Amino acid sequence: MKLLQIAGYLGSGKTTLIIELARSLSEAGNKVAILVNEIGEIPVDGRVMQDYGLTVKDIGGGCICCQVVGSMIGTLKKLAESQKPDIVIVEPTGLAVPGSISDAVKRINIEQLLIIVLFDTSRQEKLLNYDSLKRLISTQLKDADIIALSKVDLGSEDIVEHALQAVSRINPRARIIKLSSKRGDGILEIVKTIQEISVKA
Amino acid sequence: MSTMTPKQRVLKFLKGEEVDRPPIFSGMGNVVVPVLEKYEINFARAHRDPVLMAKAAAGMYREFGFECAVVPFDLGVEAEALGSVMNYYEDVEGLLYPTVKEKVIKTAEDVHIPDDIKNAGRIPVVTEAIRILRSELGDEVAIGTYILGPFTLAGQVKELDELFEESFLAPEKTNMLLDRLSEFIIKVFKVYKDAGADYFTLREMGGTSDVMSPKSFKSLIKPHLIKILAAMPRPNILHICGDTNSIIEDMKECGADAISVDQKNCLPETRKKLGHETIILGNFDPVKVLMQGKAEDVGPAAKGCITAGANAVWPGCDLWPEVPKKNMQALMDSLKSG
Repeated sequence: MKLLQIAGYLGSGKTTLIIELARSLSEAGNKVAILVNEIGEIPVDGRVMQDYGLTVKDIGGGCICCQVVGSMIGTLKKLAESQKPDIVIVEPTGLAVPGSISDAVKRINIEQLLIIVLFDTSRQEKLLNYDSLKRLISTQLKDADIIALSKVDLGSEDIVEHALQAVSRINPRARIIKLSSKRGDGILEIVKTIQEISVKA
Repeated sequence: MSTMTPKQRVLKFLKGEEVDRPPIFSGMGNVVVPVLEKYEINFARAHRDPVLMAKAAAGMYREFGFECAVVPFDLGVEAEALGSVMNYYEDVEGLLYPTVKEKVIKTAEDVHIPDDIKNAGRIPVVTEAIRILRSELGDEVAIGTYILGPFTLAGQVKELDELFEESFLAPEKTNMLLDRLSEFIIKVFKVYKDAGADYFTLREMGGTSDVMSPKSFKSLIKPHLIKILAAMPRPNILHICGDTNSIIEDMKECGADAISVDQKNCLPETRKKLGHETIILGNFDPVKVLMQGKAEDVGPAAKGCITAGANAVWPGCDLWPEVPKKNMQALMDSLKSG
């Protein structure tokens, strides 16, 4: 069982990406489970779950630094015993710091494939400049293996390039992928990366 | 041989008076599976049933000698009393903390402080649990309770993205909201005090520098914490999780009797900044050390908190319930033996 963490600020497109990734990874022959904060928030209907063999579990609430991490560990352990998925996609709360989840997961010997952090290109001015947001956004981006620039179809090439430069400065280590759920850009690239890493692992 | 009761030890300690040894306690949620199993308590129901809530809280003292009984266990009590709709996960297998599934507040004008706070939402559940604990253990054990700070509570009653954006674009509006919530928080603390709670923790997790810049903490959150701590019952504790080293002096200036930090805080640096007068509580990692660690590592990790600068060992956050019994026992044994 391997873990894929999808993080990012509220409204950055995490849920959409998760559904698309879950479908693609299922079609590629993986048994996929999804952990979310609130099942009701994720529009996966029964038919889709059945068709793709998806398991969706709640993480529950609590303090982002400990209760959520503890809850996630408990749920992951149960999933490993019962459903035995190949890949678990985790969507922590929009305030979560991905690194703290990675630390806890390592200690229970579950391999983490990647941390994907979404960055909403169309709201970059707010995310990078509002004093009440930039600290959190920067903390999340620094933990990313892949930064997915989301909603690139909503902005000009200059705007997308500006976002790319900005996130590169925050995390020069991360691979940056341009994502548009509307046009379907980027999903295949992310799936391919996951599969390459998964095979190597 | 010690003649001090755990209650005397905790309360004297928090007042800065001399004690025979530092107490082993917490001001945050601490309910663990070994207790839930022993007393056959359903976790989801314990949030809504005062008898179960009191039994689970008392079990920490009865089973392990943990020197406190703290209620409630989740972070939604006050939000629910203000109209937020909760999900208790009663039909879900495993332990899940309740979440707020519907938020109803957008502005300060939407905050309707109930006339009858004592009977709003689950506040009567918590007060009844405090009364039960008072009657059963009140002479021996200090009874603690907590409420979220105004910014964290704002995040439980108002959509987070709106809160963050507003706090930058229209901080005066956020200030009005926090002011109203502060008024509510002070009133709820008074209800808990009247029910018999002995010590009080204000948990402002949203103020962490992982999320808010120190500048925003100082300008937006700190004034409200000062106001609340000046009015709330004592002894009181201010807790903020995550990265707090850059705001630790501001935390001290908020005026609490003690300051609580989590495992991300560098305690030696904090002690150096705050001097020896301030009571600092912390800061072992409740997940990494107590839940996932080996029993033989728990004692050294806990004692390390004292060496690093804490006046008493307590967890950096709520205890995650799935704590192995031997780890909990190791914590108590190592600290009681000195």
